[in-house]
Amino acid sequence: MSGGVRVEGLTWRPLGRRAPVVVGLDLHLQPGERVLLAGPSGAGKSTLLHALVGALGTTLAGELGGTVEVDGRVGLVPQQPGDAVVAERIGRDVAFGPENARLGREETWRRVDAALAAVGLPYGRDHLTSALSGGEQQRLALAGVLALEPDVVLLDEPTSMLGPEHARAVREAVGRTVGRGRSTLVVVEHHLEPWLDLVDRVVVLGPDGAVVADTTPDAFAREHRERLGELGVWMPGLPAPEPVAVDPALLRPAHPLPPLSAVDLTVRLRSRSLRGSTETTALAGVDATVQPGHLTALTGPSGAGKSTLLAALGGLVAPDGGTVRGVEPPLARRRSRDLAGVVGWSPQVPEHGFLAATVADEVRLTAMRLGRPTDADAWLALVGLEHLAGAHPYRLSGGEQRRLSVLTAVAHRPGLLLLDEPTVGQDRRTWAAVAGIARAAAAAGVVAVTATHDPLLVACADHSVALERRAVA
Amino acid sequence: MLRLNPLVLLSFGFASLAGSFFVRDLTTAVVAAGAYAVAGVLFLPTWRYPLACLALCGISAGLIGFSAWRLGNGDHAPVAALRILVLAWPGAVVVGFVDPSRLGDHVAQRLHAPGRPVAAFVASLQRVSGLATAWQQLARARRVRGEGPTRNPVVAARYVGSMTFAMLADALRGASRMSVAMDARGFATTTHRTWAEPALWARADTVGLALAVALGAVAPVTLLLT
Repeated sequence: MSGGVRVEGLTWRPLGRRAPVVVGLDLHLQPGERVLLAGPSGAGKSTLLHALVGALGTTLAGELGGTVEVDGRVGLVPQQPGDAVVAERIGRDVAFGPENARLGREETWRRVDAALAAVGLPYGRDHLTSALSGGEQQRLALAGVLALEPDVVLLDEPTSMLGPEHARAVREAVGRTVGRGRSTLVVVEHHLEPWLDLVDRVVVLGPDGAVVADTTPDAFAREHRERLGELGVWMPGLPAPEPVAVDPALLRPAHPLPPLSAVDLTVRLRSRSLRGSTETTALAGVDATVQPGHLTALTGPSGAGKSTLLAALGGLVAPDGGTVRGVEPPLARRRSRDLAGVVGWSPQVPEHGFLAATVADEVRLTAMRLGRPTDADAWLALVGLEHLAGAHPYRLSGGEQRRLSVLTAVAHRPGLLLLDEPTVGQDRRTWAAVAGIARAAAAAGVVAVTATHDPLLVACADHSVALERRAVA
Repeated sequence: MLRLNPLVLLSFGFASLAGSFFVRDLTTAVVAAGAYAVAGVLFLPTWRYPLACLALCGISAGLIGFSAWRLGNGDHAPVAALRILVLAWPGAVVVGFVDPSRLGDHVAQRLHAPGRPVAAFVASLQRVSGLATAWQQLARARRVRGEGPTRNPVVAARYVGSMTFAMLADALRGASRMSVAMDARGFATTTHRTWAEPALWARADTVGLALAVALGAVAPVTLLLT
């Protein structure tokens, strides 16, 4: 029967890393088994999924040891959902899997429509993929896998960029597809509790990429709470971690800013080609004020315009209507260096913000450009990246890259700090460090703003701005 | 124009390529280039894009003309320049109107090209439209980190270099991640695949193909008649 998985002695050292990220990993899955894969940031969870799709040593360069056998067809939702887009329009994108499975047209489109509905994408088949937000791309990637009806479904943090409602819809869609014991499921998640009902086995990887717990959901929640909680695993039933106390002096702004107000702000995003264009209104007449000394959380469902508002506040997007008041000259009109002096921004895709060849240089870069002193080693130690100071930023795991991206936004002590989904992919300990930095920035008098789906981070904020779902064009 | 079969669209480019070999004197050159310009005015839904293509092709045409003149072939310079226009301009324009997915449908189903390479080609063409977004994000990050361009030409040159390298790195890394994602959607094991849309041939396509051939024939016919 297809759907079985055998991993024996898996060892993987990616090109450019001195030490392997996974050492001697063994894992056997029965067909139809549903497994939640947990572990601290950088433990090798995504690596294991890449091993199961056969990408290690072929598409991804590095040193591979051990054996990996998978029976049947595999479907993966990758961590960066933008990578999964293969077509210009969403219907054709979802149809990619069924086409590969040699299905007829009728069955292909039946599956496409069913998959789009299951993940809650309200657009028609002809909507341009380039007009989707991060969270919408995540749901598109899942639709693409569901339409394939694979024997082994692999999900790499499939709800990391979704709000509670869409996350629930995604879990239900996964449950319907794999619930009848047809598919084997491996889901990597940091926030385990909502998934425990859906799985019948929990496997936890330790920091060195070895299995430290392999148990049932019940026993997992009961017996391993304290020990795995210490490792950083988000164990159900544990209280929310306390943000790490960070010395506000590290973050005291070189040039403090007054409150900033978005007044009747409208931003339209155009995705255009000669064959047609899709215009989505990311923000329509939004009013919001962000204060120095406060951490403001921008919340709302995926596609509501959180990232756009964040970028508009920092002068990174010129609005189509309305203004951002508070500073003169407006941030949107400032030259690069003047802007860098007052703004720190951590983008939603961390890699887009990296400019240096090593992790330590990355932290120092903006501060050096501005002639401000900074202690890169101290920053790296704070977020647990000190052992990677000499590594290339591209070689880090998803969660590690995101922490580095946060450091690049704060190390030059800006007066306005903009963090786009800073806690995605973080374990309890690294979450506490990231949240601690955001809190300390507010305490130091920074205008601190974060676009986030993370309820725990929202709870840390002084106030939040809830954006509504935009009208479907 | 937008609804034309993508193969017919490309045939305009191939026909102009073939026709350009017959551009040997000034009359032929002017008539052939003029025919494409008239067809463009009549059938294209936009004028900005073809003019942008004309400007870009004009650079290479100008360079070719200039070198012909420098090599002492002054009379031939305008012919050489116009030949490059006839060769490159129509193709450059029609490519902009080709929908990658539809092109894939037709190349695979009508020309019976093997499915796997066609699907990979279509997916890579789709990446091109993502380049604008990547450029925007990379430029934003540079600006907010104090690494944006300034009026200083040295800084501006360094900026272009850094952006080019970053785009290259992003494209390569994106390509390997996309290839993982494609393989993990049944692409790794498929040899023959189906196509979600049929490759239909409409009467307008026949008319379009005839027009492409006619435009391509303008140069040889003019050469024969003069």
